[in-house]
Amino acid sequence: MMSAPMLRLEGVQKSFGGLTAVAALSLEVPAGCVAGLMGPNGAGKTTVINLITGLLRADSGVIALDGAPIQHLPVHAIAARGIARTYQNVRLFAGMTALEQVMAGSYLRRRTSLMASFLALPSARAALRMTRRRALDLLARVGMAARADELAETLSYGEQRRIEIARALGAGPRLLLLDEPTAGMNAQESEAIGRLVHTLRDDGLTVLMVEHNVRLVSDFCDQVTVMSFGRALVHGTPTACMADPEVQEAYFGRKEDAQRIRALR
Amino acid sequence: MADFWAAYQSTLGFAMVNAFFALSTYAVLSAGMLSFATVTFAALGGFLGAQLAVHLALPPVLVMPVSALSGALLAYVVALLFLRLDSHWMALASLALVLITRVVALNATALTGGVNGLSVPLSLPLWVLAAILAVICVVFWRLSASWYGIAARAVREDAAVAATLGIPQRRIQTIAFIISGAVGGLGGILLALMLQFLSPETYFIDIAFTMIAAVVLGGSYHWAGAIVGAVVFTALPVLLQAVVPDFEKVANGICLLLIMIFLPRGLIDPRALRLRRARKAPSR
Amino acid sequence: MSLFVEQLINGCALGSLYALFAIGFGLVFATLGILNAAHGTYASWAAIAALAAVQRLGLPFPLAVLVGVAAGGALGVAVDQIAFQPLRRRGAGMLGALITSIAAWIVLDNLAGVATGQDSLSFPTDSYPGGMLHVGGIAFSTMQLITIIAMLAATLGMHLLVRHSRFGAAMRAVGWKEQAAAIVGVDPRRVVLATAFLAGAASGLAGVLGGISTANVSYSLGEGLMLKGFAAVVVGGYDDVRGAALAGVALGILEVMSAQYVSTSLRDGITYALLLGFLLLRPRGLFGGTSFVRA
Ligand SMILES: Nc1ncnc2c1ncn2[C@@H]1O[C@H](COP(=O)(O)OP(=O)(O)OP(=O)(O)O)[C@@H](O)[C@H]1O
Ligand SMILES: [Mg+2]
Repeated sequence: MMSAPMLRLEGVQKSFGGLTAVAALSLEVPAGCVAGLMGPNGAGKTTVINLITGLLRADSGVIALDGAPIQHLPVHAIAARGIARTYQNVRLFAGMTALEQVMAGSYLRRRTSLMASFLALPSARAALRMTRRRALDLLARVGMAARADELAETLSYGEQRRIEIARALGAGPRLLLLDEPTAGMNAQESEAIGRLVHTLRDDGLTVLMVEHNVRLVSDFCDQVTVMSFGRALVHGTPTACMADPEVQEAYFGRKEDAQRIRALR
Repeated sequence: MADFWAAYQSTLGFAMVNAFFALSTYAVLSAGMLSFATVTFAALGGFLGAQLAVHLALPPVLVMPVSALSGALLAYVVALLFLRLDSHWMALASLALVLITRVVALNATALTGGVNGLSVPLSLPLWVLAAILAVICVVFWRLSASWYGIAARAVREDAAVAATLGIPQRRIQTIAFIISGAVGGLGGILLALMLQFLSPETYFIDIAFTMIAAVVLGGSYHWAGAIVGAVVFTALPVLLQAVVPDFEKVANGICLLLIMIFLPRGLIDPRALRLRRARKAPSR
Repeated sequence: MSLFVEQLINGCALGSLYALFAIGFGLVFATLGILNAAHGTYASWAAIAALAAVQRLGLPFPLAVLVGVAAGGALGVAVDQIAFQPLRRRGAGMLGALITSIAAWIVLDNLAGVATGQDSLSFPTDSYPGGMLHVGGIAFSTMQLITIIAMLAATLGMHLLVRHSRFGAAMRAVGWKEQAAAIVGVDPRRVVLATAFLAGAASGLAGVLGGISTANVSYSLGEGLMLKGFAAVVVGGYDDVRGAALAGVALGILEVMSAQYVSTSLRDGITYALLLGFLLLRPRGLFGGTSFVRA
C-alpha cells in the first residue's frame, strides 16, 4: 500500500456548459490496489473515468500514470500506456461473438505485422491462434468460456458485463477502470465480480471501480473516494468513509435514512 | 447459341470487374467510412496501366501490379486529406473527388487521351480475371479473420470504444484506404482490358453509384456480400432486359429499392445468420 | 466594361440555379441526414410538369412555374415516403437511404427520358417573358432577372424559416435527434414532410427556370444541376442556407467568367479545382461551424 501512486489526478476540472461535472478533483490510486469510487447519481464518477481514458478532455489539471502526464495523449495512446475500461451502459460491438469482442480487445497484443497477416504467413497464423487461445482463457476467467461463439448481444446483461471485463483485460492493462461492473446483477453475481477483481489484483493489476453497492465496496476495496457534485468528499478506508457523516448526508440524503439502510444490510 | 454465350460471357466479365470495385468500396466501408474515391483510384490505375501497355508494350502481368500500386499510393494521399473530415463530409468530399477526376481525365490528355479517349490493345481471358478475383478473395478472407479485420469492425461499430482498447482509428482507416486503393486501381486496369477503350466518362459517377449500391445490396458486413452484390447488380439489368425491354433500368431501380427496404443489411448478413443460429440453439 | 457586367449577370443567373438546387440538397442532408442522389431528378420532372402545364393546359407563365414547384415538392415528399420512410422506421443509417435514393434516381431519371422521348424539349417562346431589358447600356433578359429574384427570395425565406422560426428550431432539432423535435413541441413527422417538400420545391424551381433559360427540358437538366449544385453544397457548407446560396452564385459567376476570359474547355476544371481547394483548406465550407459530433 505504500508504493508510489500508479494513477494520480491533480486539480482536474471539467465543465459541460454551465455545469461543473468535476471540480478540482485530486485522487491517487497506489499500484496493486483496488480503489473504489462512490457517490450519488450525477456526482461525476463516469466523467472521471472518461477523463482518465481521454474520451473527454479536462479543462485543467493533471492526470498522470506512473508519474507521467497522459491528459494530452490521444485515446488509443492512453490505452497503449496500459489503461483499460468497461462502460456503465455496456458498449459491446454489434454483430461480434463473445470471442471476437475479446480478440478486438487484444489489438495491443497482436504481435504480428499487417503484411504477415496479408500474406497469411505462418507467423501471423500462429499469432492469431495465440490471440484466440488467450481470449478464450480470459473468457474462462470471467466464466464465459461456454458462450465464446455466441453473439454477445443475445446474452444477458450480466453476461455482457463480464464479456466487457474480458475485452478490457484483452489489452493486457496495468490499470483497469470498471464503471459500475455489478449494475443489474444479483448478490451472487456481484460477489463473483468482487472475487474476480481480487484475483486480478493478486495478479498485479491495479483497479479503480465505480460501485454503488456499499457491501461490495466494503468487502473488496482497499480504499475509497466518495464524490459529490464533482468534488472528492472523503478519502480513506471503506469503513472510515461509510462512517463519515458528510458521506451519509451526501449519499443517503438524511442521516436517519442512512442508519436505516445500514440496519437493513 | 454462340451469340448467347458471347453475351453472357461479357456480362460475367463485367460482373467480375464490378466485384473489384465493390470490394474496394467494401474495404473502406468495413472500417466505417462511406467513400466514392474508388472511382478515382480506378481511373488512375486504368489510365496509367493502359499507357504502360500502349507505350512500353508491357504485358498485363506487369501492368496490373503497377496499377494496383498507383491506386494504393493515391489512396494513401487521399486518406491523409480525408481522414480529417467527419463521416458526412467525407462522403461529400469523395463524391467531389469523383467529379474532379472526370475533369482531370478530360484535360490531362497526355495520360488519358482527353475527349478522344484511349484504345487499349490488350485483352484478358476470362479465366485469368477469375483467377485474380479468387486471389483477392483469399486476401479479403484472411484479412477479415486477422487482427486488422477485427479492429476494422470495432472501429466501424464504435470508434470511441475501439480507441479505448488501443485501436487507433486513423491508422486502421488509412490501411483501409490503401487496400481500397490497390483493389480499385487493379479494377481500373481490368475494366480497361475488358472495354479495350477508355474515355473520361469511363470512370465516373455511374461506377460510384453502382459499386456502392452493389456492396450494400450484397451486404456490407461481409466481403462476400460485395461479390454477390456486384454479380446481382450486373446480371439484373441483363435479365430484366429480357423480361421488360425498354424499362429494364427502371425495373432495376425498383428491385434495388425493394431489396433495400426489405433487407436493409443486404443479401449476406453474418449477424442475421448468427442470430438465427442463436434462436435455434436450445441452450438458452 | 459592359461585357463584363453582362457576363456578371449571366453568371449570377446561372449560379442562382445552382444555389436553388444546393439549398434544398443541403437542407435534406443537414436535417434528415440523407445524401439524396435523386435530388436532381426533381428539377427534371418539375420542368417536364411545367412544360406539360403550358402545352396541354395552356397555363400562363406564373401558374406554370407554380405547377413545376408543386411537382418538385410533391416528388420530394413521394420519394421520401417511399424510399426513405421505411428505412427511417428501422433506424437504418445514412447508407441505406443513400442506396434507396440511388434507386429513386435510376427510376426517375430513366422515366424522365421516356417522358421526353429521349429528347431535349424546350418551352414555346411565347410561354414565358422572353424580352430583353436594357439598363444604362447593359442588356440582360427578363428570365435572368426573374431567376435571380426567385433565388434571393427562396434563400431569404428558407433562411428565416430555418434560423428564426419555431419550426426551423424543430428542423435543426430533428437533424440532431428526432426525439429532440418532440421536445420543442413539433411532430417530427411533419418536420420531415415539410423538409422534403421544401427541398423538392426549391429543386423544382431551379428546374423550371433552368429548363426555360437553357431551352433544355430533359433528364440531363437535373443531372447538370446536380453536378454543379453539389459543388455549391461542398463549398458553401450544407448546414447553412446562405453559404450554399452564396457558393452557388459564386460558382455560376466563376464558370461564366472563366469561359469568357480563360478558356471554355477549362471551365469545369476551374470550378472543380476550386472545389478541391475548399475541400483541403476549408473542409467545412464557407460558414462551416459546428458539425455532427462523432461521439
Ligand atoms: N457529455 C456530457 N454533456 C453534458 N453533460 C454531461 C455529459 N456527461 C455527463 N454530464 C453531466 O455531468 C454530471 C456528472 O455525470 P456523470 O455521468 O459523471 O455522473 P455519475 O456520477 O457517473 O452518475 P451515475 O451514478 O448516474 O452514473 C451529470 O450532471 C451529467 O448530466
Ligand atoms: Mg456513471
